[in-house]
Amino acid sequence: MDVRKYGVLFFVVVAVVALLAASPALSRVLVFPRTEFFTALWILGSNNTAEDYPFNVSSGKSYGISLGLENQLGYCSYYLIEVKFRNETQSVPSSFGPLENRTPSSLPSLFNISAFVADQSDWELPLTFGFDYGFNDTLVRVDFHTMIFNGNVLNLEGASTSWNATTSRFYGALFFELWLYDRATTNFQYNGRFVDLKLNMTAT
Amino acid sequence: MKNRFAVLVLLAVLWLACSGAVCHGASEADARSTVASADQRVSVCYSAVADAEKAGANVSGLLVTLNDAGMLLSEAHLSLINGSYDLASGLAGQCVTKLNGFDNDADSLRASASQARFVDFWVNVVGSAVGAIAVAVGGFLVWRFLKRKSVVKAGGV
Repeated sequence: MDVRKYGVLFFVVVAVVALLAASPALSRVLVFPRTEFFTALWILGSNNTAEDYPFNVSSGKSYGISLGLENQLGYCSYYLIEVKFRNETQSVPSSFGPLENRTPSSLPSLFNISAFVADQSDWELPLTFGFDYGFNDTLVRVDFHTMIFNGNVLNLEGASTSWNATTSRFYGALFFELWLYDRATTNFQYNGRFVDLKLNMTAT
Repeated sequence: MKNRFAVLVLLAVLWLACSGAVCHGASEADARSTVASADQRVSVCYSAVADAEKAGANVSGLLVTLNDAGMLLSEAHLSLINGSYDLASGLAGQCVTKLNGFDNDADSLRASASQARFVDFWVNVVGSAVGAIAVAVGGFLVWRFLKRKSVVKAGGV
């Protein structure tokens, strides 16, 4: 038998077996590198879907939402979420433009939520909140007293919102700013992201 | 006599008032110090977890503990703002207690992950690369042997 007739077949078989043997090493080498590193931040409604968000709120009533994070930064991250409340005229954080130019709201944080999230993992926290507020004598301003946030009483004395004649509403916004712990400086830095929930304070 | 008694009473009242103020101040300072220590402890534990994850360890169990400790720390900060210093100290203490032995656990996870990664590298990367080369070289040698045998057979015929 002349083996030279089977040369091509023989080397194809050898190449396939060699590739199979090399596949564990190749699977580690031939990987597309990750090019986008970011954190996603979201709020979901009471049914854990992007609907049924509370809008018309009443004093003394409780509302449920869910706050979520997804870490795509390439390492386990330590986040701080600052819970803030503002009316229509107060400082708004920014979330557009280069990251270093984005600024947080100048309002003080009412409550800080810590979150430790592994790389390529998400984190979710169910939240309940409610307000205690009253109307001034002329019924053109809502004066806030407290906010109950996940069972914690947060002081809102001095906060108020005025009647918006255009939309016929008393607007307020509950918002969550994302801060990221930097191990080099051992400080938190604003991550340029926030989510907010616009609310209308009703009398009923 | 009455004047002396009145002075004594006044001094006692002043002393009580001052000691109360000092106690209150110490309590606030203690609470701030305890919360700051808890803050630092959480940061140290986070660094240990981040290093363990970087080494390839599965840190999901540690993150559950760290998130629980973080929630206690958040509530301690809120209590500090609200002036509930005893509560703030208590919550910060609970946070630190929760993290007892945490860095040891993280370090041992990191060490075993590093060991596993080392073994994985030698078996799966080096081993399979050497195996592939051995198959190629072996195949070539077998081919030469078969070819030579076939030529000898043909010459013999």
